[in-house]
Order: sequence, then C-alpha cells, then structure tokens
Amino acid sequence: MSVPAIAITNLRFAWPGSPDLLAIDEFKLAAAESLFLAGASGSGKSTLLGLIAGITPANTGEISVLGEHMDPARAARRDAIRASQLGVIFQLFNLVPYLTPLENVLLPLRFSPERASRLRDAGLCPHQEAHRLLDVLGLDGDGLDRASTALSVGQQQRVAAARALLGRPGLVIADEPTSALDHDTRDAFQSLLTTECQASGAALLFVSHDRSLAARFDRSVELDVINKAGGSR
Amino acid sequence: MRAPLLTLAWKSLLNRGLSVGLTILAIVLSVTLYLGVEKIRSGVRDSFNSTISDTDLIVGARGGSLNLLLYSVFRLGDPTANMGWDSYELVASAPNVEWAVPISLGDSHRGYRVVGTTADYFQHYRYGRSRPLELATGRAFNGLHEVVLGAEVARLLAYQIGDEVVLSHGVGEVSFADHSGHDFAVVGVLAPTGTPVDRSLHVSLESIEAIHIGWDTGMATRADPGEDADALTPDSVTAVLVGVNSPIRVLGLQRQINTYGGEALTAIMPGVALSQLWEVIGAAETAFTAISLLVITVGLFGILTALTSGLNERRREMAVLRATGARPSDIFGLLVLEASSIAAAGAIIGIIITQVGFALVSGAVRSQYGLDLGGGFGLSEMSVLVAVTLAGALLGAWPAWRAQRNALADGLSIRL
Repeated sequence: MSVPAIAITNLRFAWPGSPDLLAIDEFKLAAAESLFLAGASGSGKSTLLGLIAGITPANTGEISVLGEHMDPARAARRDAIRASQLGVIFQLFNLVPYLTPLENVLLPLRFSPERASRLRDAGLCPHQEAHRLLDVLGLDGDGLDRASTALSVGQQQRVAAARALLGRPGLVIADEPTSALDHDTRDAFQSLLTTECQASGAALLFVSHDRSLAARFDRSVELDVINKAGGSR
Repeated sequence: MRAPLLTLAWKSLLNRGLSVGLTILAIVLSVTLYLGVEKIRSGVRDSFNSTISDTDLIVGARGGSLNLLLYSVFRLGDPTANMGWDSYELVASAPNVEWAVPISLGDSHRGYRVVGTTADYFQHYRYGRSRPLELATGRAFNGLHEVVLGAEVARLLAYQIGDEVVLSHGVGEVSFADHSGHDFAVVGVLAPTGTPVDRSLHVSLESIEAIHIGWDTGMATRADPGEDADALTPDSVTAVLVGVNSPIRVLGLQRQINTYGGEALTAIMPGVALSQLWEVIGAAETAFTAISLLVITVGLFGILTALTSGLNERRREMAVLRATGARPSDIFGLLVLEASSIAAAGAIIGIIITQVGFALVSGAVRSQYGLDLGGGFGLSEMSVLVAVTLAGALLGAWPAWRAQRNALADGLSIRL
C-alpha cells in the first residue's frame, strides 16, 4: 500500500500562551507498520496523539491519516475520520462505565456509519466480530454483559484493544497502554496487540516511556529526535 | 442529534440511578404540586362561576349588582331593601319569562341562613353544568313548618329527618330573638353541591310569613295569628330568580326591569356578576400559581446540580467517547438529552400521580364538597410536560457546554 498511515510535514504546535511544544518537520508511519514512539511524560506525546487523532487542531503544518487531511478548520471532518479510521487505547479508564464490555467494544459503530458498513461489506455481524476479537484477546464470553468496572485493569485494556480493532480501522494509536499492567500481563498484552494489528492490517503507533518494549516493533523512534521544539524539556 | 445518543443517555442515567432518581423525585413532587394546585384552583373557579347556572336574571331592590349577587346567591351581607310582591308577580308574568322563583331572606338557624322560597326552587335552581338540586334523603317541603336542609347544615349540626329546629330572627351566629313556638320539622336533606345551598335551610314563603306575623315592629308579640292562607301571602320578597325562554330576550328584559317605573329594581345576569366577583377575590389564585411555578423552578434546578457535580468525574468518559469518534456536539447533545430526559421523566410521573390521585379522590371530593376536579389528560398537562422538558434541556445546556469545552481542552489525554 502506498498511502502512509500517518504523514506529518512541517508541524508546529503550541498550546495557547505557551512556547512551541511540537516542531516536527517530517514523520511517516507506513501502512500496516508498527512503530514504537519513545518519550518521557511531558514530552508532548499525548498532544501529538491528539493532533494525529484530530481531536486537537494543528496550528501549522499538515497531518494526514491514511491519506485523509486532518484539516484544522474542519472539526466535524476530523471527528469523522477518527471515528472511521482510528482505534485509540489509553493508559487507564478506557471503558465507559455505564456500558457493558461488549457495548464498549461496539461503541465506535455508534459514531461511525462507515465503520459499521465496512463490517457489513465484509459479511460480518458486529456482535459476532466483537465476540471474535474479545475471544482472540483472551476474554471469553463470561462476564462480558456485566459492568465494565468489574473487570481487572488487564481485562479492561484488552476490551479497549478489541474496541480499537473493531471494524478494521487503518491505524491504532496506543498511549502507554501497558504502564498500568504488571510485567507478565504487559508482555502478553503487547504481543496480542501487535499480532492483532498485523492480522487486521492496521498500522500501530505505540507510545511509551518504557524502551524495553521497543524490540517487538518494526521500528522505533525517539520523540525528542524528531521533535525540534526546545520547550519540550 | 444522533440516534445513538438516546441509548447512551439512557444507560448513563440508569448508571447513576440514585442521584438521578432523587433529581427526578424533586421534579415529580414539584410537578405534582403544581398540577394539584392548578386542578383545585380551576375546580374552585369553575364551581364558583357556576354557583348558580341556568338562572338568567336575579332581580332585587335597587342596589349594587355585586351586593345583590352576594346576598341572593352567597347568603352574604344583607339586602338594602326588599322588593314588593306585586313586582314579583309582574316579573313572573312578563312575556318570555319561563319561570320566576322568589326568595325571602332574613332569618337564620345557628348562623346558617334560612331561605324562604317556593317548591319551584328545587326544580329551577341549577349549579355547575345545569345540575339540579337533589334530595339526599326525605322530600321537599310542602307545608308550613317544614324545612329542607342543605348538606353542610345537616352534616355539621347532625340533623336527621324528623328533627325539630327553631329559626331565629336576623342572621347572626347567636340570636337573641328566636321564633319560639314555631318549631320546624326536618323533612328533607339536599345532596352536597359545593355551593352556598349546602349552608342554607329552605322553608316555604308561607312559613316565613307565619313566623313573622306580629313582628312588624321588629319585635315578637304574643299574638297567635292562626294560619289562614290569605294572611300568609307575603308583602315582599328579597329577590327573584328568573328563567327566560330565549337567551336573546335576557338583555331586553334586564333593561325593562332596571328602568321599571313602579319600583326601583335591579336585575343582574348571574354569570356576568359572578365573573366580576371572581376578578376581585380571584387574585389569590394568581399567588398560588406563582408559588407552584416557583416550586417547579426549584425542582428543575436540581438537574443543574446533578449534572454539574458529575462533570469532573465524567471527564474520562467524555475523552473515551471523543476518542471513539464522538463530536463535541455529541457530548453537548448527550448531556442536554440527559437533562431533558430527567425533566420529562419527572413531569410524566408527576402527571400520572396527579391523574391517578385525582381519579381516586374525585368521587369523594364531589360528594363531600360538590367540587368537580376536571380529570383527564388535558392541555395543561400537555403544556406542563412540554415546558418542563424544554426547561430541563435549557438548564442542561450550561453543564453540557462546560463538558463540551472540557472535552475540547482535554484533547486525547485523560485527566486523572
């Protein structure tokens, strides 16, 4: 595939009243590639992910996700691209507390008709696909209809991963998804995530401060190396 | 607004059952109070405005129309003067007059007014929507020294058929001039009407005459007149209730009576006079409405409290919704939807409670107080539902705007 999952050129970003936080001349993530982005907390990595996800509009420069321009002037368009093409996994509190784990996995379909129709075009029933993903990620059917808050953190992260992958988005971004997990769970989760992203053909942008995880990815990048802004440290 | 938000809002509200339930309860109580006050208010007003119906004119001695209404219908105050019996006969025989019932006031029994009238009174006096007077027990009077009691008189003074009552001269609670020697036998008790009829004792005009023979000086004499019928034809009556055979004749007849040269008379249309009177005494109902509207406002502000206090702990939830594709407007819509759902639920439950409650008590209220509490889901219920839901949405807009602003500021990070 020639269209990169992420293409950033000449990005400049600062929060109002603050010095430049991000200054990235060039950054690319190829389709279906998995990338480890290393950065300490406060280095602007969450801001970068917000820009890529189209939640935060860029000041200058261009961000494209799977060939779609994240236009700062078109918030609804950015929201639609995110809903259709992105899966997001947070460090913690990934689940909407009043929805069951299964409903949490199906949540993106509520906001993205495209994602739902992609599933239909592939001949898949959303519920069956959600169950399949949860099954692959090691969550059996038991407890999926109970309160999300009853799940352990490791289980919650796997539900979040299933949600990110549902409907085959082209890009999954994960912001420190393993740092709340213990060592064994962390390794298992990380390999499941990379394997499933590969299986569904999604590019993976995995952000963490824990460089010991970097070996399992196609490529590893230091945020401080690509970010030329001085205010990051 | 997108349809998926409905189920999200519903599940979110269920998840916070207790605080949402309490907020709804506050609205339920305030809506119930408002509708209850409104129903009683309009019931009282309707009942007041139809204290007397189907009577086209009330005729009395020349005086203020409100005064005539007060003493002839409400048994309040005193007539300035009586009107002559010949004037009554003239009115009764006027063209287009279908019926004319004289009433004679001035006596009382333990504070309750005595109405001297004819048996036609029970046939022609109507209240509410043309409801006739009905006897709960016994029969109408048809002779001297027989009395028919209003419902309240019988109930509060615990009189039954066959009991003897003594009338007093004048209308005070405590009278020093009893018509002793003229015991009246209770022959009938009227069913409750919710009108001043309940607080009246009804006797024949002849009875009134009989007990007043020899009272021309205003004092009792020892003379015993006997009871020959001729002597019992009254010289005067207090007022005459008139029914006209065609509504378009009423104004003409009223003008004729008001300009009658033989005696200074006043004729009023009871409906017009009643609404004039209600304008005077009905000011209190505005106060009731204002108070219950304030209570609804207070109830609605609970929504603001409930939603605003939950906003900080819901920031993560909002970030998750944003990350999975929700627009800022979805966040706004979700909270407005929650607010208006709380308001609508409160209004609906409140309406159901008033409907059921009034259905349960309306029979008892009608028989006890003769008050018709108009039932059914009507315009006022509908407008309460719409207004409360809209107000809820409006109040929800403030926390919703804050949540939307937070969601934009938080970006993709989740504040812990």
